[in-house]
Amino acid sequence: MNHQAELRLQAWLDGELPPGGAQAVAAWVQRDPEAAALARELGATKTALLGNEPERALPESREFYWSKIERELAPAEAPAPAHGRPAWLRGWVKFLAPAGILVILALLLFGPMLRSHHRPTLASTAEVESPLDDISSFTFDSESEGMTVIWVNTE
Amino acid sequence: MAHKSDNSSASDQSLVRRAQRGDTAAFEELVARHRDKLYARAFSMVRNEDEAIDLSQEAWVKGWRRLKQFQGEASFVTWMTRIVMNLCLDHLRKQKRLRTDSIEQMDEELGGVERQMPAVSVNPAAGIERAELRAQIDQAMNQLTDAHRTVLVLHEFEGLEYKEVAKRMGCSIGTVMSRLFYARRRIAVLLGGLREELKA
Repeated sequence: MNHQAELRLQAWLDGELPPGGAQAVAAWVQRDPEAAALARELGATKTALLGNEPERALPESREFYWSKIERELAPAEAPAPAHGRPAWLRGWVKFLAPAGILVILALLLFGPMLRSHHRPTLASTAEVESPLDDISSFTFDSESEGMTVIWVNTE
Repeated sequence: MAHKSDNSSASDQSLVRRAQRGDTAAFEELVARHRDKLYARAFSMVRNEDEAIDLSQEAWVKGWRRLKQFQGEASFVTWMTRIVMNLCLDHLRKQKRLRTDSIEQMDEELGGVERQMPAVSVNPAAGIERAELRAQIDQAMNQLTDAHRTVLVLHEFEGLEYKEVAKRMGCSIGTVMSRLFYARRRIAVLLGGLREELKA
């Protein structure tokens, strides 16, 4: 008998074969004494095990065993903090508090950089007109470039 | 909160309902009622007293936290048994105890040495007290590998089908069938041997 046949026999005993397959194995067991002997052994072992899981008493007293469980239950039972906020709001606060801290830190770190980015460019620098009639001049002051340019037109 | 003596006469169902509302005294009564069963199942799987105690306690804590999910489709003790069984499977998996080494794997594929032996004709359950049979099964199971014993526990004691056993153990149905065959034949030989020892 090959191993596949043995496994089919076992599956038949366990009711794991489809009806057609089960009939074929039943017929085989009827005519083959070796298969019948194996079926008897597997069946007897199955029956012996069924409902006979070894029993075992816990080697600890009821109180001691429970005390260890009870310690683990306690955190879940701890009363809610008395700030009176509804649960959904507490959830948001829990999320928003660290987010708020991050935003503040980001502003402190990147704020000066952002400000320097928005300094006026050359094109938007104020134009200063000379009060003299015969000399016209234009002055451009760029803080970002760190320079001042004056065009003087004498014509 | 109900007194201990009231709890001892209450049904599991009513204790569960009260525990679902946060009554720890009712839950304590459920633990007291079914702790041996859960511990025995954990021991069947891990074969170590301390580990079995820890795993069964972890199961009770998990059960308490998930109690609201218990709808009563199965009995409470069946539900709890599934929890402890899953924890034991995780535990065995973490310790890599569900793996078989290459020789064992080859043995499994071929059906093991037991495959070559003639069928055992002794009925292990015949003419024997139940307690004694259980003690013999316990002794025999101690000699199986974790992988073979686990298949036996899931299939024979928990009544799971092949595909369900395969899913829980993370292996193929073919492996489950081979392991089960090997484990059964080994148990048959061991129980037969124990019977012969008793006769002698």
